[in-house]
Amino acid sequence: MSLFRKMKRTKISDKTKPMTIPSKVVMDQNKIPDSLAETEEKIRGILGKNDDFLVKRFKIFGQFSAAIFYFSNLVNQDIINKDIIRPLMYVPEHLANREKTLKNLIEIIMEETLYHGQSKVEERLDELLTVLLRGETVIFIDGIKEGINISTREVEHRSVSQPETEQVILGPREGFIENIDSNIAMLRYRLPTADFQVRSMKIGRLTKSTVYYCYIKGIANETVVHEVEKRLSAIEIDAIMDAGYLEQFIEDNHFTPFPQIQSTERPDKTVANLAEGRVAILVDGSPFALLVPVVFNQFYQTTEDYSSRFLMGTFARFARMLALVFSLIFPSLYVSLIAFNPELLPTEFAVAVAGGRAGVPYPAVVEVLIIEISMEILREATVRLPRQVGGALSIVGVLVVGQAAVEAGLASPITVVVIALTTIGSFATPAYTAAFALRMLRFPIMILAGIFGLYGVMVGIILTFNHLLSLKSFGVPYMAPVSPEDKQGMKDVVTRSPLWWMSKRPDFLQTVNRTRHDQDDQNQ
Amino acid sequence: MLHNNRNIRLLMSIFLLCPLLLSGCWDAQEIEQRATVLAIGIDEVNMDEDNQKSEGNIAHSVNKFPIPEKDMIRVTAQIAVPGRIPLGPAQGSGGDTTKPVLIVKVVGHTLQDALVNLQQQIAFEVFLGQLRIIVLNEKVAKKGTQRFNDFLRRNPEIRRTASLVVSKESASSYMKLIPELQRIPALYLADMVDNLSALGRFPPSFIGLYWTILSSKGQDPYLPYLTIKDKSSIQLSGLAYFNEDKMAGKTTPLEIGYFMAIKGIAQGGYSVFIKVPDQDEEVLVRAISRKSKIKVSLKDGKPHVDIKIRYESEIEEKGSQNILINDSKIVRKIEKEASKDVSKSLKKLIVKTQKAESDIFGFGEHFRAKFPKYWNKQIETKEKWNKVYKDLTYDIHVESRIHRVGMKAK
Amino acid sequence: MEYPRNITTVQATTILISTIIGVGVLPLPLFAVQGGGTGAPLVTFAGIVLAASGLFILTILGIRHPQKTLISYSEDIVGKWIGRFFSIIVISFFLFLSGLAAREFGEVVVSAVLRETPLEITVIVMLLIACISVRYNINTFAYIHNFYVPAILAPGLIIVALSLKNANPLYLRPIMESNLTSMLKGMLTISALFQGSFIVTMIIPFMKNPRKAKKASFWSIFITGSFYLLIVIATVAVFGPEEIKQIFWPTLELARTTAVPGNILQRLDVIFLAVWVTAVFTTLFSSYYFTIFSIKQLCKLKDHRLLSFFIMPFVFFLAMMPQNILQLYGVIKLVGKAGLLITILYPGLLLMIDIFKSWRKKKRAAQQS
Repeated sequence: MSLFRKMKRTKISDKTKPMTIPSKVVMDQNKIPDSLAETEEKIRGILGKNDDFLVKRFKIFGQFSAAIFYFSNLVNQDIINKDIIRPLMYVPEHLANREKTLKNLIEIIMEETLYHGQSKVEERLDELLTVLLRGETVIFIDGIKEGINISTREVEHRSVSQPETEQVILGPREGFIENIDSNIAMLRYRLPTADFQVRSMKIGRLTKSTVYYCYIKGIANETVVHEVEKRLSAIEIDAIMDAGYLEQFIEDNHFTPFPQIQSTERPDKTVANLAEGRVAILVDGSPFALLVPVVFNQFYQTTEDYSSRFLMGTFARFARMLALVFSLIFPSLYVSLIAFNPELLPTEFAVAVAGGRAGVPYPAVVEVLIIEISMEILREATVRLPRQVGGALSIVGVLVVGQAAVEAGLASPITVVVIALTTIGSFATPAYTAAFALRMLRFPIMILAGIFGLYGVMVGIILTFNHLLSLKSFGVPYMAPVSPEDKQGMKDVVTRSPLWWMSKRPDFLQTVNRTRHDQDDQNQ
Repeated sequence: MLHNNRNIRLLMSIFLLCPLLLSGCWDAQEIEQRATVLAIGIDEVNMDEDNQKSEGNIAHSVNKFPIPEKDMIRVTAQIAVPGRIPLGPAQGSGGDTTKPVLIVKVVGHTLQDALVNLQQQIAFEVFLGQLRIIVLNEKVAKKGTQRFNDFLRRNPEIRRTASLVVSKESASSYMKLIPELQRIPALYLADMVDNLSALGRFPPSFIGLYWTILSSKGQDPYLPYLTIKDKSSIQLSGLAYFNEDKMAGKTTPLEIGYFMAIKGIAQGGYSVFIKVPDQDEEVLVRAISRKSKIKVSLKDGKPHVDIKIRYESEIEEKGSQNILINDSKIVRKIEKEASKDVSKSLKKLIVKTQKAESDIFGFGEHFRAKFPKYWNKQIETKEKWNKVYKDLTYDIHVESRIHRVGMKAK
Repeated sequence: MEYPRNITTVQATTILISTIIGVGVLPLPLFAVQGGGTGAPLVTFAGIVLAASGLFILTILGIRHPQKTLISYSEDIVGKWIGRFFSIIVISFFLFLSGLAAREFGEVVVSAVLRETPLEITVIVMLLIACISVRYNINTFAYIHNFYVPAILAPGLIIVALSLKNANPLYLRPIMESNLTSMLKGMLTISALFQGSFIVTMIIPFMKNPRKAKKASFWSIFITGSFYLLIVIATVAVFGPEEIKQIFWPTLELARTTAVPGNILQRLDVIFLAVWVTAVFTTLFSSYYFTIFSIKQLCKLKDHRLLSFFIMPFVFFLAMMPQNILQLYGVIKLVGKAGLLITILYPGLLLMIDIFKSWRKKKRAAQQS
């Protein structure tokens, strides 16, 4: 598939080598010394002063010296005590009469003694150190050049709750949390199919964050998966704090205000997108999953559209699209009508609006710009406020401020109404990133409207659409299925067609398997 | 890397161009800084010394410039004052005693000339985009409207849906009226004229249609004819019919109904008293809808028109209690009488317009469309048709059907 | 060609439609009436047929050489230097066309909407948008046209539908009014409005299925032809031919006379103009793209993006040449008629020569075997 031939080069370097441990910690010698004391010294030397790093010496089966290394804050102490130290210290019954030597010790421990499911033998020291830093426990035995690492990680995390940024009325209330294993679990239980593949990678020199990318084999296009892999592995950064960092590295076009990757906190949305043929990327430490590739009309769809009956969904979608359009051009339209073409307004209205504006000392453009900017500042402020105070200072508060501005003569009443509607419209767009893009674009279009009137608005809209039409997300045209037209995809653009009509997957994702379900099956 | 450079260069060049564009928002003009002219009245005025002087040397030097031969006109403009007309419902008695509109009078040789003089007197730029109605005084209309049409057509601000009316009194008196029902007088006037066609009192008429009919070769235009009653109410007193662009006469209001019948305009609205045969009483019959069919033919090379009209009417009121409308036979009789009456009146109307050589019915268009050879050979111009129209022969058949009698059983 | 073949038949159709419907929509009824009086619909129809035949010739030529654009295969057919010579003529013609379209657009805007804005600014802004957009590749080109087509067709159809209540069918008769000469002249002028369809020569090499180009051409002419015909019929029915002769842009007046029921918005023409900006943009976009692309092919350059800003001053200069609007329309009519030679006659000759050549080849092959 020639999807990616015209992919633009981004800041990602061309190297595709996998991540390696940064040089500072790279050991010249990767070997584990024979003697336990030496090993301990070496490890302490590398790790430096860490008061939460514990080393406990004990004797395996009463015979062999060993030590267990772990970071006390990262581990489940119970497991260490009960499932590791205890069975190792006491000779189990079935081994009572066996001869235990250094040679078969590892084998006996791994296969007959340890009660733990996730344990491994490893002979590279750097690898053992890496897992140690992640919260696993390492056991070194005096005289053996290998270490055993056992998974004992347990970190505090919050419980699964309704995602804050994507609230729905009809639909599941589970949201991803920061712990990636729980997140994958949430995905897995929704997709109990053998085709669901989860591949991992570690990104970030310092954070070494686990990144999982998932897809459904047989549905997702292999080229997309390869491309995801390629871009992810090309990332060079020291710390990944959130999925958003990843997004900035792997997106196609950095200079556009429009997002080319969708992020979501909801597992059900992720699963729905996986079922359509997308690839989901999750990062440890971030509750957001990234979905690629993305097209524009996803940004005004919500899961609720699909959980509700199709009439409800369609109606809600119309309202959202209208809000989207509003949030982009309403103030510009207002400026064009007032300052350039008042003949479009009904006469009584035009004359009355003139009355409202009569006291305002500056042109309509300036007035609108001032109020818009104040709105933006207020909006940023409300985000930072604590919940109790923030709720009060929301739109209602802003309107009150607007009213005061009107009475002071700084704005005309219609302007306040227009701006309020615009702001509310921008909240109605479900995708935060896309809404932000439209918020930003409002300003150039307003300025164009102030210079050229309606013509300026049209110029702005044409430029915006042309730009949108030229964007690609992982090889998929951004405005599909409207622009490269696709009948199946169109069923989901403006209206939310009934589920039984949408029997094929959208064309633009070039999925391997195109049929969602057999239409004739609907009666079963 | 190179690619990024290009992008940045592009952005830079665009940004650098922007200040150039900002150097002037040339067309931006705040709505409260426009003098929105809502209505204009045109009267004729003598070309005496006073008026010439009052004109001032604005558009041309007095006496030094070839002056158009025609008389001067006085233009009265009603301009909305921003700030005095509030949004929302009218505030009660404590409201404004100040007038919400400004009335300005200027003189000029042509319409644009007068408007230039008008601009001289007003601080804000005159804005004609909301102009809803132009009132022509009868005398001005009789002398010809073509002198105004040129300006009105060239100016893109003027709407085609504005109304043009002819008035008996001076147009400026219309501008000064303060009707009770509306805050802005001009809008009341404009709405009234607009509603005339909705109510079925007048065929659809707006200035665009006037121009279209004026340009067509086989038709003469018509305009509403208004008069002022009791100082503050305006009344539709008939239809002014034109010979090309000069007003040639006016009809009575009832005749408008007949005119609409011939034109086949469906919306009915006029009521007439029909005498019930064999009784000395009358009933009031109102037309609900009309349909007309016009057939043109050439009889011996001379044009002839067959007009068939079909009315659907309703009995609205009985003249007296003595009549009983409880039998369809009586209704049938009333129908026949109505048809006779209407026929007679229609004939009268046609004769009236024929005398004035004004084919407002558009029969000429029918001939032009259906007999192009005849048209091209014999007629070709509008004037010639008007002369031929004088001797046009015609036949009228009227059929009335009274389908409704209201809610009363007898 | 470097780019993959990605343009579907539907996209090809929409490209043609949006290219053809452009700035000519506004004076169209005037041209038709000047040619035929009440017979304007007939004149329009004749013009459409002529344009359709021209497009048909181009399509067949393109299908016979599905990998190359006209610039390339004309060299094959008539030889390198003659082909190049004519290609230069074609390119300069489209350069001229771009300039004139931008200028006509500017004139309308400056006369009807933005009266104080200098003409240069409106023209430059439109040319700038075209310049920026020309830098995209041909797939985006197709997407852009695909996207805007409904926005172009819908308002026109709505306005036609709404205006019919003012229509007077008498204005449409008699069906043939003027003499044949003026009708022929009108037919040529109207046919010139469809010249944008030449862009099919650039599109066919990139189509997924070049054989289907015939379908695309047919549908595009059908849709644009009906669209134009409807507009002519509506304007003539509403205004009558005599009135139209007095208006520069009857379609605009039609929009002005129409009112949304309920009087929510008066003066629909401003909205119509706003939407018409997209139609002009797509047309200008196409002709400019064609010019740049063809220059690139002629001079065997690698990338057409550099040319976009370089050529613009020439286009601007051409746009500013006519001194006033009357001169502008004179030039447009002249260039239009000359263009017919270039877009119909020349491809026709090419086709004949091409058929002749291949027939000769077959004969020779048959003789040899």
